[in-house]
Amino acid sequence: MAADRKGGARHRPGRAVAYAAVGVVLLAGCASMPDSGDLRNVESTPRQDTGVRVFAMPPAEGAGPAEIMQGFLEALTSDDPSYDTARKYLSDDAARTWRPERSTTVLANGPSIETDCRAGAGQEPTDSVTCVLAGTRVATVDAQQAYQPADGSYRKKVHLTRSAKTGQWRIDGLPDGVVMGKSDFQRNYTSVDKYYFASDTTAGATGQPVAVADPVFVRSKVDAMTQMVRSLLNGPTSWLGPVVRSGFPTGTALQKDVSGLAPDDQNKLTVPLNLKASQVAPGKCTEMATQVLFTLRNLTPTLESVELEGADGRRLCDLSEERAESAAWHGSAKSPDYLYFLDDKHRLVRMPTGSTGTGALPVPGVFGESDKGLESVAVSRDEHSAAGVGDAGKSLYVTSLASGGSLGNALVTSAGPTQSDRLTTPSWDARGDLWVADRDPHHARLYVVEQGTAKAQEVAIPELSGQIKDARVAADGVRIALVVENKDGKQSLLIGRIQRDGGTGQGTSVVELRSAAPDLEQVSAMSWAGDSRLLAVGREQGGVLQMRYVQVDGSTLDGPAPGALTGVKSIAASEDERVPLVAYSEDDGIVRLPSGAQWQKVDKDGTAPVYPG
Amino acid sequence: MSGDSAASAPGRSGARQGRPVGRSAGARFRRLFEGGLLQGGVQGSPVLRLFLRWVRRPLLPVMRLWRRNIQLRVVATTLLMSLGVVLLLGFVVIGQVRNGLLDAKVKASQSQATGGFAVAKQKADEAASGTATGTNAATTSGDGTSTADGRQAQNVIPWMSDLVDSLSSGGAGAFDVVTLPVGDDSGGGRSPRGSGYVNPTSSVPADLRERVNSGTTAAQSYTRIVYSNGKESQPALVIGKQVSDPNGRPYELYYLFPLTQEEKSLSLVKGTLATAGLFVVVLLGAIAWLVVRQVVTPVRMAAGIAERLSAGRLQERMKVTGEDDIARLGEAFNKMAQNLQVKIQQLEDLSRMQRRFVSDVSHELRTPLTTVRMAADVIHEAREDFDPVTARSAELLADQLDRFESLLADLLEISRFDAGAAALEAEPIDLREVVRRVVSGAEPLAERKGTHIRVLGDQQPVVAEADARRVERVLRNLVVNAVEHGEGRDVVVKLASAGGAVAVAVRDYGVGLKPGEATRVFSRFWRADPARARTTGGTGLGLSIALEDARLHGGWLQAWGEPGGGSQFRLTLPRTADEPLRGSPIPLEPKDSRRNRGLDEAGLPGGGGEKRATVPVQQGGAQAPALPPRAPIAPRLAGVTPAADPTALPGNGNGARVVPRPGGGVRRPDDGPAAGSAASADAAPPQDSTQPGEAFRGR
Repeated sequence: MAADRKGGARHRPGRAVAYAAVGVVLLAGCASMPDSGDLRNVESTPRQDTGVRVFAMPPAEGAGPAEIMQGFLEALTSDDPSYDTARKYLSDDAARTWRPERSTTVLANGPSIETDCRAGAGQEPTDSVTCVLAGTRVATVDAQQAYQPADGSYRKKVHLTRSAKTGQWRIDGLPDGVVMGKSDFQRNYTSVDKYYFASDTTAGATGQPVAVADPVFVRSKVDAMTQMVRSLLNGPTSWLGPVVRSGFPTGTALQKDVSGLAPDDQNKLTVPLNLKASQVAPGKCTEMATQVLFTLRNLTPTLESVELEGADGRRLCDLSEERAESAAWHGSAKSPDYLYFLDDKHRLVRMPTGSTGTGALPVPGVFGESDKGLESVAVSRDEHSAAGVGDAGKSLYVTSLASGGSLGNALVTSAGPTQSDRLTTPSWDARGDLWVADRDPHHARLYVVEQGTAKAQEVAIPELSGQIKDARVAADGVRIALVVENKDGKQSLLIGRIQRDGGTGQGTSVVELRSAAPDLEQVSAMSWAGDSRLLAVGREQGGVLQMRYVQVDGSTLDGPAPGALTGVKSIAASEDERVPLVAYSEDDGIVRLPSGAQWQKVDKDGTAPVYPG
Repeated sequence: MSGDSAASAPGRSGARQGRPVGRSAGARFRRLFEGGLLQGGVQGSPVLRLFLRWVRRPLLPVMRLWRRNIQLRVVATTLLMSLGVVLLLGFVVIGQVRNGLLDAKVKASQSQATGGFAVAKQKADEAASGTATGTNAATTSGDGTSTADGRQAQNVIPWMSDLVDSLSSGGAGAFDVVTLPVGDDSGGGRSPRGSGYVNPTSSVPADLRERVNSGTTAAQSYTRIVYSNGKESQPALVIGKQVSDPNGRPYELYYLFPLTQEEKSLSLVKGTLATAGLFVVVLLGAIAWLVVRQVVTPVRMAAGIAERLSAGRLQERMKVTGEDDIARLGEAFNKMAQNLQVKIQQLEDLSRMQRRFVSDVSHELRTPLTTVRMAADVIHEAREDFDPVTARSAELLADQLDRFESLLADLLEISRFDAGAAALEAEPIDLREVVRRVVSGAEPLAERKGTHIRVLGDQQPVVAEADARRVERVLRNLVVNAVEHGEGRDVVVKLASAGGAVAVAVRDYGVGLKPGEATRVFSRFWRADPARARTTGGTGLGLSIALEDARLHGGWLQAWGEPGGGSQFRLTLPRTADEPLRGSPIPLEPKDSRRNRGLDEAGLPGGGGEKRATVPVQQGGAQAPALPPRAPIAPRLAGVTPAADPTALPGNGNGARVVPRPGGGVRRPDDGPAAGSAASADAAPPQDSTQPGEAFRGR
């Protein structure tokens, strides 16, 4: 009995100690920071916007003309959706007739009021004063919200009167549109691509319509999404208008009083249109939704699907991101499979885009076999064929990237005296046409080889004033970037619109050239790096050679430029921003810039890197 | 003196003492509720009172539970107190943490803001002096044109925006920058500006603006940042200063430091404290519950056992485990119960032995008595032959032997009652015949006394199931007593029948009874006037036996009397045996009592006085002081009297009420002391209910 009890007593503390030990271990686990655990996705939190906002104030009682002018100009920089506060600085008539949306004039350092505006300069008070706004023009944004670089000085007269009734100074004569400084413009406006379809171009292989980006500027803090949809519905800007079409029937608009469009919790946006269901064919509707989705994904990258709603509130169609990619050919959505370049034996070799190594394999086919003396190459967008400039720049060959092809005859030949006066690097568009320029000083020309096989046609460039130094066609096939050298040796980067003949017999032409980078004096290399963005290596007046992104409409971008690199001879970028930049530098050969890293060497002896296109 | 009031006195006096205690607790609650909740503001509003009663009804069980459950009270009190302490502690700790967090934040913010103000001033100076170009790219966009314009007040608009931009860009999320115009200043750069969606005008408190405007030193305040993009507003520290722009015009520059992190830290502390506090409160509650349970469970057990003990189950014992205080309590309790049981057993044995002894003695005395009797008879018959003195002795001898015999018979009879050996042979009888027999039997004595015995209420038969022999004995006893004490005045025997009861009352108009005697007349060997010589040779046990006879029937035998007003004895029997009595057809106090006739000067107050007087008398009866009058006899029958005397008390007044209780009349003498004393307290409420019917009727 006593022994039993003793045994039991010995047992119980033992178990209690064990329990306590387990508890202590568990608690100790809770009391220290974990060094292992389950996996979880990190929800990306949007970066907080620190942007400055100006809160417009109505005019003060009894303010003088100068103060009225200052207050008005300040109110223009505010986020007032329809400039209601700014209108309070205007007389009633002027407030009715003033059209702020007509244009936005960007001045280098903001509008200054010339000194004769000071009221009461004379002894007796007057009731009428004329002020002059002056400044250095940087750009204008027109009523279609298209940006246009501008220069020259800006002088506009503004007339103020003292109202007889209230005795307050008000502006009663002023130009339409708003005017602001460059920094305010950059703060308040943002560039967004809206998308249309190339009217006579379809993607070569699949026959999909090709989406063309049309950059416009909208006020970023004033319901940008609704603004963008309205702008999209209003149609393309006039520069791009002739060569693109919109999926939306003429007269399509948002339903009345729609504002504040925003995606819901599932990242789905519903766009109420004034269309009737009978007006919309399913295919058209998909096109419309594609346009909306592509456009708004620029603004809200997380947007996943779009639903169009008819006038009666019924759903017309909806479109998810995946389906949109198949509904239209879209340059920035096509990630190239390979990076191509010429190795030390002038063979065309390739390496996978995502590879981090340096091993490259020769391509199948003629270009990869032996030394054909290739100088530069271009691989078609579908990566089935390649074009190469050989014979010291004299000849252009096109061949298949399948093994066993033959080189054939040169499609284009140049008679330039030196290698730098002969053929440029060719480029392909989505349709499958091959573009190349001949730099022959006597007869500089731009050729297009349709489908890469037909006879090369010369392309007319009526507005060209100088020598073509380089030419790159955009993926959409309706825009081409040209580097043109003036008589005085200054180079400029121009964007031209490709006008296909469309059966008129006039031939293909490039028209309405406009400057994409007005401040660059020399452009040594360039490549498309987005739907409406180019990567250019150039030199500003009095500056050094540097690499930077330029927007096709000539505006400057806020984003950071790629890291500096010396001796860049050519660069390759893809429309897809995730693909690393590749450059050929005289010092280091082919180098690569993965996102978030520094330049890395790829091949010391390689030259002429290209992505398909 | 009203015998009835004496009868009901014990119960009522006990109830009166017990009741106020019980009522006072309830009354206090009710007063609290009605005074505090009900009558506070709703006097005279029956609807509201109804509503409150309706509200209060579900609370009543809770309140009862609260009153009765010590465990609940202790646990609830512990919970409340620990909650209070935890709350207090929480407030103190949170206050400390808050102050600490704020101190650190304020210091860091002040240095940040001071730096910002310095930068703003420096930039303004640079722009004003025209040296801004190139040295500070953030101030202007770097064009040479700003030099000329900067001085002309034109470019303050972008300068201001750029300033706010550059100042706020250093602290995305950590702080926001706001500029406001001084007063109602308007013009270039005067519009409010704010970074990070801050709404400038509503985020900066007005009194801070006043302070900033009134001086050039920096000032700080706390505020809530209001956001213009729908973000939830949050508390913030705002530091502001008046700064000059390049044109030398002042504006207000504010730094807003959201206290989001501090709020989060504080809420973490709060959450931790709340959790810990909750655990502590629960723990304390659980501890209290456990401790109280340890104590209360044995106490409850003890209470239950004590209740059962008091109900007479003397063998009940507490379960005792361990050696702690509770166990000691249990042991002591058990020991007490054990002793009680032993003592009670001893007393019972003693009582039984005494009764047995009395009975045996009576029996044993009979045999020699018979011999003595025979010898005495011989001597008595031959008394003529003796000289007068001897003859007188022989007569005395015979008389006393008669007395001795009847005393012995009575003793035997009463010991039979005490032993529970008395059996009732009930059959329907007409009480009129019994009364007639008794009256005719008492006629000779009455004639001798010059008393006329009248019988009332004998027009109709008065039939009851009863033992004719016993009823006759009772009535004979009463009538003979009445004649003896009637002082020659008439004796009235009254019969009545009503409800389930029949009654015979014997009224005399003799000396009556003194206050308190109504209860004592039934005591064994009690004598109204000890000095008075017995003329009829009563044994002193007649009324005791009569009372026992009445009890045996389940009936009452009660006495009433007033000094000088005569007395009345009333026998009430159930019409059928075993039927409990609820009342008597004849009032105990006759209509022709002095009080009823208003002859007594004391009148109604006297009634009150009598009633009050009964209490001490009652108590006296229960104790020794009542005994001295019969001291000469008491020693002889000491074994019987103490046991019998207390029984007479409840038997007298409460006889009617005691009899119907379980156990019948058989064990009555044994149960008497315990049951009677218990009944005085326990039976209070039922007694109250019968008061109007019976007990008060006599008064």
